[in-house]
Amino acid sequence: MMEASSVFSTQSPLLIVEDSNEDFEALRRYIQQYHLPIPLYRCTKGDQALAFLYRTGQYADAALAPRPGLILLDLNLPGTDGREVLRRIKQDDHLKTIPVIILTTSNNPKDIKACYQHGVNSYVIKPMDFKVLKHSIQTLLSYWFEITMLPSESLEDNLL
Amino acid sequence: MRQSVNSTLSVDLTNCDREPIHIPGLIQPHGVLLVLRPDLNIVQVSHNVSALIGRQPQELLGQPLAVLLPPEQIDMVQQCLIGDFECVNPLDISVEFKDQLLRFDGIVHCCNDLVILELEPRQINSKNDFFQFHQRVKGTITKIQKAPTLLEMCKVVVKEVQKITGFDRVMVYRFDAEGAGVVIAEDHVETMVPYLGLRYPATDIPKQAKQLYTLNWLRLIPDSTYEPVALVPENAIDDRPTDLSLSVLRSVSPLHLEYLKNMGVQASMSISLIQDQKLWGLIACHHSEPRYVPYTVRTICEFVGQVMSVELATKESHEDLDYKMALKSLQGKFVESLSHSQSFLEGLVQLNSSLLDLVGATGAVVCAGEQVICIGQTPPESELPALRDWIKTNIQHNLFESQALSTIYPPAEAFKDIASGLLALEISKVNQNYILWFRPEVFQTVSWGGNPNKPVEITADGEARLSPRKSFERWQETVEGCSVPWKLCEIEIVTELRSLIVGIILSQADEMAKINLELERSNTELDAFAYVASHDLKEPLRGIHNYSNFLMEDYGDVLHEDGVAKLQTLVRLTQRMEDLINSLLHYSRLGRTEISRQPTNLNDIVRQVIDTLTISQPHQPIEFRLPRPLPIIRCDRTQVNELFTNLISNAIKYNDHAEKWVEVGFIEADPKNQDTSSPEIFYVRDNGIGIPEKHLGRIFQIFKRLHAQDEYGGGTGAGLTIVQKIVERHEGKVWVESSSGGGSTFYFTLAAEAQL
Repeated sequence: MMEASSVFSTQSPLLIVEDSNEDFEALRRYIQQYHLPIPLYRCTKGDQALAFLYRTGQYADAALAPRPGLILLDLNLPGTDGREVLRRIKQDDHLKTIPVIILTTSNNPKDIKACYQHGVNSYVIKPMDFKVLKHSIQTLLSYWFEITMLPSESLEDNLL
Repeated sequence: MRQSVNSTLSVDLTNCDREPIHIPGLIQPHGVLLVLRPDLNIVQVSHNVSALIGRQPQELLGQPLAVLLPPEQIDMVQQCLIGDFECVNPLDISVEFKDQLLRFDGIVHCCNDLVILELEPRQINSKNDFFQFHQRVKGTITKIQKAPTLLEMCKVVVKEVQKITGFDRVMVYRFDAEGAGVVIAEDHVETMVPYLGLRYPATDIPKQAKQLYTLNWLRLIPDSTYEPVALVPENAIDDRPTDLSLSVLRSVSPLHLEYLKNMGVQASMSISLIQDQKLWGLIACHHSEPRYVPYTVRTICEFVGQVMSVELATKESHEDLDYKMALKSLQGKFVESLSHSQSFLEGLVQLNSSLLDLVGATGAVVCAGEQVICIGQTPPESELPALRDWIKTNIQHNLFESQALSTIYPPAEAFKDIASGLLALEISKVNQNYILWFRPEVFQTVSWGGNPNKPVEITADGEARLSPRKSFERWQETVEGCSVPWKLCEIEIVTELRSLIVGIILSQADEMAKINLELERSNTELDAFAYVASHDLKEPLRGIHNYSNFLMEDYGDVLHEDGVAKLQTLVRLTQRMEDLINSLLHYSRLGRTEISRQPTNLNDIVRQVIDTLTISQPHQPIEFRLPRPLPIIRCDRTQVNELFTNLISNAIKYNDHAEKWVEVGFIEADPKNQDTSSPEIFYVRDNGIGIPEKHLGRIFQIFKRLHAQDEYGGGTGAGLTIVQKIVERHEGKVWVESSSGGGSTFYFTLAAEAQL
């Protein structure tokens, strides 16, 4: 599912892979409250996320699936789960430069370790408290979209 | 008569075995022997035909039998040849001699295409009808059958045979496994020296004599001082001497005659006792004077011998019947007890003395791996591993048996007084599971009928001469290093026991494997359940939490104060619910993750915990007491940190004293106490509110709280459950001493392997 974002922006889009509508609703609420407009795309399943990134199937039209500047990925997804999606992204030379942040309920040390071994850029446990959640989201956005320099897509393409 | 054996090579007692006693060419003089061709022409006669029937050998040789017997008797002989001669013997034969009609018992048999007719003069008044036979035999047979034991039967038989034959001495002589014979029953006239219990070496009855005893049920020597009578001509046909194996008159080996003479026996009769085609023993009859036994009486004796032979098997199987039954029932109890015990060793050891009774042993050793358990009188424990290893290499078909261990295992000489007899059962070679039973040495006195070492005489001309023993004086030998032999039934019980034990072990192992598998599966399932449930419960909970907040954010002004307060409660409840779920998740993870032991200074851990707790509650003045430094042990640092955190924070939390204190220390465990494998018992003590006794049993239950949620700082009620789990993961124990208002002390141990 592609969520409507601001009509025009130079801002790289944010891809959220999250199957829970309520969790997504909470995320969207605080992303929209952020002072910068960030184009938002959502996938509910792992396979769908891969189709989005590889521009296959329903996302064959490149206009429908722009390359995201950041991916928020849930681990427990129906079908192909987040662990597999992460592995595929980080093994792909073209995709692995996209920062991936795991946002999950799982605080299992095994999961945390495995994700970092696969090259995840951050592992965030979904906070229960909405205030904490709001703060976490805004911190993430400001860090990844304002503080950090990300590789530019065009430059990367040129290099390839 | 002398029999010389020319041998420069070897003279030993077995030379007797080579004497050709079945072709002596001689007969005893109390009857005549005629050898006939199948057409009943006479080809060989005994020289005494002239004396007994008044014919010269020349008158008979080459002549048809008709020259001697009337046609009807010839017919009888011929019928005899067609049928089974045993059934018709003896024939009623009469021969005319000097106008007298001499009556004979005619005994016919065939041998190598020759007919042998033997005539024994018939006693006056001797009748041979079946009715009389039946009369005389009936009572004896009944007594034999009714005898309760083998020995009783033998006693009956000697008495009956004595009555029937009138011999001075009648004995039952039984062969043992080595071929030596023992007199096991005897009836004799009062003036004679008893032979009962005497043993005679195997060489007393040579192999070929035994063979003849097996062929003929009965052998009679009416007068051992007889002059043998030659057969004329020397050979009947060709150059072969006539085979007299089945002849009743066959002349006796001169060695045997000398033997009898030395024993003071003039007449002798032997009745064979045969079991499974093997000579089991003899009914031996001796008389100090010549004694002839008529053929009909011999038939009766033969019949008695045959009946007794048939009864041998029955009586032997009834032997020790009560003992066998007792063993069987003991075996049943044994198996019953084994099947209920946790391990092979434990089960057997519990049985204690019944393990000895099972085979009538005085000591037993149960080996299981390197463990050895002794019951009763056994060799010293230091000798057992070597003995077991020796048995291991010598055992066959899982069983080893000896009644004279020191003769085959010399080190046993040292403990032959308690372990001359050994019965060993191998349950498992791999696991070194053995049961050994011991019997003490019993000084046995074997009474030989004379020195059993047969002497060899060297004659004047340098020939070695075998001579039968001259002395039959009781000659006693003391046998050392022997125990009472293991009975066949005892060995059988033990063999059966093995298959029963193996059966039990297999089924127990099987069951154990099943239970373990099931346990493992259910544990894994439970963990997976707790984990999945916790995660999946959290998602909707987060939804409720977030949406409640959205409601307050978006519609706060419409909801009024009251509505917002209710939503706040809802939010608080979701947070509490999350705490519970997190505790559950944490608890389930404690059960699943491997603990990683590393050397840990417990003083550092406790110091850290105290620091953390004091920082979070700086306004509470608490006195921490550490009476002496804690040890350094091997444990999972993170878990032990949590363990102390939970115990110390509880100690602080549940305390309403103005001056709170918490003491952390350890005491030395009592090494005799099997419950704790750890040398230290750690404790966390406080002067807090304590726990009422009625609640002590439930404080470790998960989510069990003793106080209202808003009292004593709240909490999920998982803290002590987690403490218990951590202690269990460290193979220790945790317990509490407390009373309401009197403070609490939590004790715990962390297994022996926690030692550095």
